[in-house]
Amino acid sequence: MKYRKFAGMLCLAAMLAGKAYAGPADYVYTPNVEYGEREIDFKGGAYRQPNGGYAQGESIGFGYGATEHWFTELYLKQENIANQVANVFEWENKFQLTETGEYPLDVGFVTELESPLSNNTPWELRVGPLLQTEFGKLQLNGNLLFERAFGTADENGVPYTTNFSYQWQAKYRWQPAFEFGMQGFGDMGKWDAWNRQADQVHRLGPAIFGKLPLGNRQVIQYNTAWLFGASSAAPNHTFRLQVEYEF
Amino acid sequence: MKYISLVALLFPLAAFAGDANYTLVIREHRFQPAELSVPAGAKIKLQIENQDATAEEFDSYALNREKVVTGHGSATLYIGPLNPGRYPFMGEFNQATAQGVIVAE
Repeated sequence: MKYRKFAGMLCLAAMLAGKAYAGPADYVYTPNVEYGEREIDFKGGAYRQPNGGYAQGESIGFGYGATEHWFTELYLKQENIANQVANVFEWENKFQLTETGEYPLDVGFVTELESPLSNNTPWELRVGPLLQTEFGKLQLNGNLLFERAFGTADENGVPYTTNFSYQWQAKYRWQPAFEFGMQGFGDMGKWDAWNRQADQVHRLGPAIFGKLPLGNRQVIQYNTAWLFGASSAAPNHTFRLQVEYEF
Repeated sequence: MKYISLVALLFPLAAFAGDANYTLVIREHRFQPAELSVPAGAKIKLQIENQDATAEEFDSYALNREKVVTGHGSATLYIGPLNPGRYPFMGEFNQATAQGVIVAE
């Protein structure tokens, strides 16, 4: 019985540590910035861990294209992972470093700072380069992300490390209101000493995207994906959704 | 090796040499020329000069480009290489008048 309780605590600790780089509402960043664009942004997602634990997350944010190369966004986010609820305030800044199409790879950079609004989560910082290219109507994105929680260890004594994760998507731009493709997310573990394969989290699955003009320079953009676990440590199914109102 | 690969991905590859240069002018909420012929299969550097006092947004789903051009400002777009065909674009802030097409041939 003690062993099962200890194993349960370990699983919970792993999930809470994992939350730092595998939020249920995670989305694929793109490097483009649109000057003057204002948006209200909703994101949500849910998955069930292999051990049965349920995770759910939602966020709402306001973003603004402050310059031709800098987009900034503030979020309020809530995550419920195995009945542990965390509320955080998030400040995301995205920098477009190259002109779209100027080089074979478009490059951007993202910084994302999370400040806890409840006392069971640490401050966290995520940074990384954002890459994009296109082949005709096919657009490809790939992002390399490094994330660190501040402090020495979590409440279970698990030391914080700088972790490495990745995101990618392939999108066929069929028509503005409906585009389709694939998305993938992966968590490799410590950035310079990746987890053994069985402990890495890899998810991928079909995704759809679209843009619905409302007139008078107002637009709804959406993208959503159903992700399948591609490793034993990954949730079997993840649903994620992002909807933006641009004005 | 893993680190070298990661660092290499941080940097864009070398620019295409010899991009063909073209210019579009925005005047009285219209693009001039409204039809711009460019060579197919070539990378295009497109300079947009906005002579109006108000901002305009170059928007083309066919070209996968959106770019705000400030009033009395300019912007540079890189497009292509394009397959032969017609690629419409518009000014999102003045859609009634600001319409155009790039013809790759």
